[in-house]
Amino acid sequence: MKEKILAITKKRVKEKLENPDQKIINLSLILEKLQLRINEVTELLKIITDQEYPSIDQILTIKEYCSFYILKNKTKEDLKELKIDENKINEIIDILSQKIGIVLKDEIKDITTSLAKNILDMIKVKEKIETEIDILIKANYINLYSIASPKIACKMIEIAGSFEKLARYPASTIQLLGSEKSFFKALKFNKRTPKYGILYNHPLIINLSNRNKGRMARTIASKISLGLKSDIGKKDISKEILEKIKIKISELK
Amino acid sequence: MNKGIIYTGKDIKTKDTTTGKLREWDPTRSKVAAGIKKGIIPNIKENDKVLYLGAAEGYTIAYISDILPKGTVYGIDISPYSMQKLLLAAHRRKNLIPILADCNKVDEYKDLILEKQDFIIQDIAQKNQVEILIKNADLFLKKKGYVLLSLKLSAISQKNHKKTTEDQLTIFRQKFNIINQRRLDPFEKKHVLIYGQKK
Repeated sequence: MKEKILAITKKRVKEKLENPDQKIINLSLILEKLQLRINEVTELLKIITDQEYPSIDQILTIKEYCSFYILKNKTKEDLKELKIDENKINEIIDILSQKIGIVLKDEIKDITTSLAKNILDMIKVKEKIETEIDILIKANYINLYSIASPKIACKMIEIAGSFEKLARYPASTIQLLGSEKSFFKALKFNKRTPKYGILYNHPLIINLSNRNKGRMARTIASKISLGLKSDIGKKDISKEILEKIKIKISELK
Repeated sequence: MNKGIIYTGKDIKTKDTTTGKLREWDPTRSKVAAGIKKGIIPNIKENDKVLYLGAAEGYTIAYISDILPKGTVYGIDISPYSMQKLLLAAHRRKNLIPILADCNKVDEYKDLILEKQDFIIQDIAQKNQVEILIKNADLFLKKKGYVLLSLKLSAISQKNHKKTTEDQLTIFRQKFNIINQRRLDPFEKKHVLIYGQKK
């Protein structure tokens, strides 16, 4: 009898753990922490390296800056291999020609280059995680993937706890997902409730004027909740919904 | 008291069936041990059948399986992560049987537990804790069987703790007679352990 029950529980455990939601949530948590760590370490690195190449870090992104720092010879041809804009390259060479920076000791230079390599490795891992989350969401929840962008989709699943719980939410809850604190605070003191939560970072919303952001958040939240419900039946209706959203954008003033 | 439990007034110890050595039972980690320290001594006999709701990673349930050399103990939990560790514990102990299920949905494990049980221990922090216990006791507990319920007050209401305990006890009294009841204060905050017998 015991062996029979053990087999059943082992089967149930595997079924629950192979659920894609749990992987999406874990990966997105790692991604969040990794981004913080990358920013932290580069800030500390720049304190030393800024004396060597002053004010270059303001021109380049973190990835470009680290790969620029690793380069041995910093001539114009070498810089072109980094695939940076030509304007940026000209600016960098203009700064280098002034020769304001100091020359570091070899031992310290060793430390800083290896640190820069480490940061580049972390960025590589981050990109891998992002593509993996993309693949997971696209394979399982196609409507959610195309209406809400993958970044917002994985955040939503993380806040709700699982896809099943998220699919049961009404559109108004999806609109305010992520702004629970300010929402309940507003209810308590009888003030204005927020217009959007994590939907604020949606590519269709973020570029709109302040007046239209709330309106667009409302329509997109309702469309997302529609898409979620058809995701349960694995039916792809994203094209029709995206067309409706485009009409709505053209009507905005 | 059960012969397996050795309580000198200071430490609580049980004999480990896997190694044969005495093992200390930490009252800050286990609510049953905290209850023994506070004076609630459960009447678990050597050949009892025990149902444990909310087994988690298997700290308390391992001690319970130690003091039942001729009995069995069923451990039920909802989380697949902690169930992996409970499965390992069940591999080492012959009388421990783990089940992955939701205690609120009795249909998930109704077919797996065939005999009536002598004892039910419940340790799950839910709003409808007492109702879950009554649901399980109706199906699985013998007449005059015992229950041990650890009530987490902050899971039920953040307001007046005295009033919430009284409200929960009125629901509890419909099915059970209360033998003993204690707060677990130095070991566990805002918890009440209730020991009762089925009517």
